[in-house]
Amino acid sequence: MLKFLKNMLLSLYMQYELVTCIYMFEPWEKKLINSFVLLTLSLVIFSSVVYLPSYIETFLRFVSPLPEEEGGASYTPMLHTEKMSMS
Amino acid sequence: MGNSNGDSGEVQQERQRNCDISNSWNKMKGITEENMPKECDSSTVELRARKNGFKDNVVEAAPTNGCLKNCTANTTQCATANGTACSNSNSNSKQSLYTPAKKLSEFAAEHTRKTSFEEVPLHTACLTYLGFYLLMILGYINQLLFVPKVAKEENREGYVTLYDAFESFYSRYVYRRVRDCWNRPICSVPGDEVTLKDRVTNDYGWSFQFTGTETRCLNLGSYNYLGFADATGPCAEQSEETAREMGLAMTSTRVELGTTQLHLDLESLTARYLGVEDAIVFGMGFATNALNLPSLISPGCLVLSDEKNHASIILGLRLSGATTKVFKHNNMRDLERVLRYNVVHGNSKNGGKPWKKILILVEGVFSMEGSIVRLPEIIALKKKYKAYLYLDEAHSIGAMGPHGGGAVDYFGADPKDIDILMGTFTKSFGSAGGYIAGSKRLIDFLRTNSHAHCYASSMSPPIAQQIYTSMSIIMGLDGTDTGRQKINQLARNTRYFRRRLAQMGVITYGHEDSPVVPMLVYLFSKIGAVVRTLTTRHIAVVGVGFPATPIMEGRIRYCLSAAHTKEQLDYALEVIDEISDRLGLKYSRKPREPNTIEY
Repeated sequence: MLKFLKNMLLSLYMQYELVTCIYMFEPWEKKLINSFVLLTLSLVIFSSVVYLPSYIETFLRFVSPLPEEEGGASYTPMLHTEKMSMS
Repeated sequence: MGNSNGDSGEVQQERQRNCDISNSWNKMKGITEENMPKECDSSTVELRARKNGFKDNVVEAAPTNGCLKNCTANTTQCATANGTACSNSNSNSKQSLYTPAKKLSEFAAEHTRKTSFEEVPLHTACLTYLGFYLLMILGYINQLLFVPKVAKEENREGYVTLYDAFESFYSRYVYRRVRDCWNRPICSVPGDEVTLKDRVTNDYGWSFQFTGTETRCLNLGSYNYLGFADATGPCAEQSEETAREMGLAMTSTRVELGTTQLHLDLESLTARYLGVEDAIVFGMGFATNALNLPSLISPGCLVLSDEKNHASIILGLRLSGATTKVFKHNNMRDLERVLRYNVVHGNSKNGGKPWKKILILVEGVFSMEGSIVRLPEIIALKKKYKAYLYLDEAHSIGAMGPHGGGAVDYFGADPKDIDILMGTFTKSFGSAGGYIAGSKRLIDFLRTNSHAHCYASSMSPPIAQQIYTSMSIIMGLDGTDTGRQKINQLARNTRYFRRRLAQMGVITYGHEDSPVVPMLVYLFSKIGAVVRTLTTRHIAVVGVGFPATPIMEGRIRYCLSAAHTKEQLDYALEVIDEISDRLGLKYSRKPREPNTIEY
């Protein structure tokens, strides 16, 4: 089972190497690219974990129809720009 | 038939000579315009071309009225594409002028049915570009940080570098990484199997060391279509005998001391093989194109060249100084568009005067695409617009057609419809050199004008003997049917291999009868990976990457041979199936054949 998993991961890594041409590079270049990719990935994951929920919340509030407690007629989405600020 | 062909040959000779006479058409014009519409039931475009004073067709028809009739008969002969006798009577030719349209559409339909150029999946296209940019960027970083481990020019202050910068960059930092997949030294005859000399690199492709071991591989990379590259057998024996008798080289040109009876025999046999009046042979296939084109065309001529034509043709065209217009690969509509535009508008550099000559330049089998020329349609176009046709049969001669006569034989066309037949002996005949065949007048013209004939050393006798023997075997002159068997074997191998590959789901290009089978892998790294993996499984193939193909279209090229057996092909296909699963080469989105494919 473990061996199968290892083989699968290896073949996945092989595919990744092939489609990005990393296959052709020298070891130090491979390390450079891989660390770059890992750095980018980790930054993306970090930012999405930290900032994305609040972003989505504000965005949903921005696009959704008017919440009931604020009262209806005078609502225009463009005037609510202060809601976009980061919480 | 003999009579009609002989006459049409003369027409061509007449054309060859007359197209250089620049002012004779004026006085002939009157005769032609009277006669042409009456004689041949031509379309409006043809008439328009003539009214625009397109010189070639006028001059061609000019000499006699009798010639004109023959020329019309000749048209039908090609168009019906059976090469059988066609009487010179006017009614017959008029009647059958209508059949070509139907026939041609049939040819076109057949061509599209048999040829496949599957589109690349979008994500693969994006990844290919991404990978290529990555290679370039890292290459530049590498070049910036490290001094390349190759010779540098010294004491050259003030000089610009002699060698092209991008080319050296590309070969050092992109090609070098997978350099072990190309230029691999071999140490045996490249027959159905080939022995590779093993080598290793300890510095990522900068240098190689031989390990002293050898690998026996199944050879799917040689243009040995009919399997005549062999260290034993009649070809090898007779070549050896000739080498003992006549030596290895003539050390002189053909026009001086380099002509022997063997060369003359070879030329007459080549002419007979192709069904034309005469042929001329050269010691080098590349030079046959590169050096003969400049003697046939000159500045002021127009050449319509297929975009996938070989480098030797492109070099020849550049040397000739003629204006070159490129049409889309095997695209008859585009060819007609370019032809019509240029016939109507003439040479814009010369104030719209007609072009001196118009030459259509195509190959029989395109070596990188694996496609076959659409010869019947091109012949029809050539006749419609009165252009010349130069057909390079480098890969098709021997390998195509029921008698091994190339694309002409494959389509059953009349060889006299093609003005200049060119081909090489390097591929199917297992030898070296090239030929040009056509009317006697054309060949005589080349004998006096061709640089490759006058200045190049003549063909080596054992090489000529190899061609002579293999050609006799193909023609069945040795009394056996070995040649016929080889041709059939190649055709079966080709169809089997191509259909099995299609069933696997890899993308292959080209026509189903072409023995060159390019398998698309797209990414540069996959070319290297496939070649390396196949070598470990004892299969030798050729990878083709960016400078030779567009960036997008990295490919593995299999060349089939009559020497391969079904077992060998089955083994290769099994391995290819396995590695294309592992490396992800099954790009094709076409429905796959569910049944097993019979050999």
